[in-house]
Amino acid sequence: MNMLIIQLILLAGLLAALALTWRRARQDALTRRAALLWSLLWIGGAVVVLRPETANLFANLVGVGRGTDAVLYVAVIVLFYLLFRIFLRLDKLDRDLTKLVRRVALDEHENRK
Amino acid sequence: MKVVAVIPAYNEASRIALVIPRVRSRADEVIVVDDGSLDDTFSVAQASGVRVLRHAINRGQGAALKTGTLCALSIGADVIVHVDADGQHDPDGLLDLIAPITRGEADVVYGSRFMGVESEGMPLMRRCLLMAGRVFSTFALGIPRRFTDPQSGLRAMNAQAARSIQFHQDRKAHCSELLRAASRSSLRVIEIPARVTYTSETLAKGNKTMDALDIAWQLLLGAFQK
Repeated sequence: MNMLIIQLILLAGLLAALALTWRRARQDALTRRAALLWSLLWIGGAVVVLRPETANLFANLVGVGRGTDAVLYVAVIVLFYLLFRIFLRLDKLDRDLTKLVRRVALDEHENRK
Repeated sequence: MKVVAVIPAYNEASRIALVIPRVRSRADEVIVVDDGSLDDTFSVAQASGVRVLRHAINRGQGAALKTGTLCALSIGADVIVHVDADGQHDPDGLLDLIAPITRGEADVVYGSRFMGVESEGMPLMRRCLLMAGRVFSTFALGIPRRFTDPQSGLRAMNAQAARSIQFHQDRKAHCSELLRAASRSSLRVIEIPARVTYTSETLAKGNKTMDALDIAWQLLLGAFQK
């Protein structure tokens, strides 16, 4: 099978992402469930890279003209979702930071009395 | 009834010394929460002889109000009043705000800028923004239309209400969050007319047009938090 250079580069990137995902899971930085979901994403990406016609199958299934368009739409949706998740995480960290600052402020006031 | 006024302050060294005595004459105790100010707000407030708490870093008005409210509850407050540090709230109006609670007619009382008492110096743009905020509050947050000023920062509540209303928004979205929680509870929430005075200084620090988008965004994120 002749492979294009871009396919090799993308495959190497996806394999690295897969390896990193499981390394993070082994370090308990990622749950097993999250690691499996991420792995599905990377493997799905690898399948599309190796067999681009699978994207056409998916495109026809969901009513999008071309496989590349379908991949692009899915990528944008996934990126928006991940970005929103990051915003939520930052918001949670912000709230935790406030709780800490509040605790210190109340304790300091108590100690000053 | 022990009335405790909570004043959140951020970089208010030039104005807080004037505000504290005016509020103190109408409350049993005053708690100033210095929200990580970069100026002398903390020392100026302390020199006024009131309780002063200090956030090590700036966390926002909502966060400072919650810190002050918790402190007020810990010292046995029966009524807690939230007042701005910039002097835009009329201290004479505090007694009117507290009265329905002390009479046992309400649990939470809001001071409204749109109930017949004309606010001094309110720009047309601010008025339009607040009106738009009211529409947003009704349709997006489900805050009853009867509340004429959902963004009002002038409010009083009894200790039971202060314990039961949970608000987590650190910044400007706390107004909507707090009113939403209060209006959905079994608490008796009312509004009374309030006079607010805008100056170039208060307007410079107050809500900007773009803050409305930020508030909507913060409320959206908050809806997804546990």
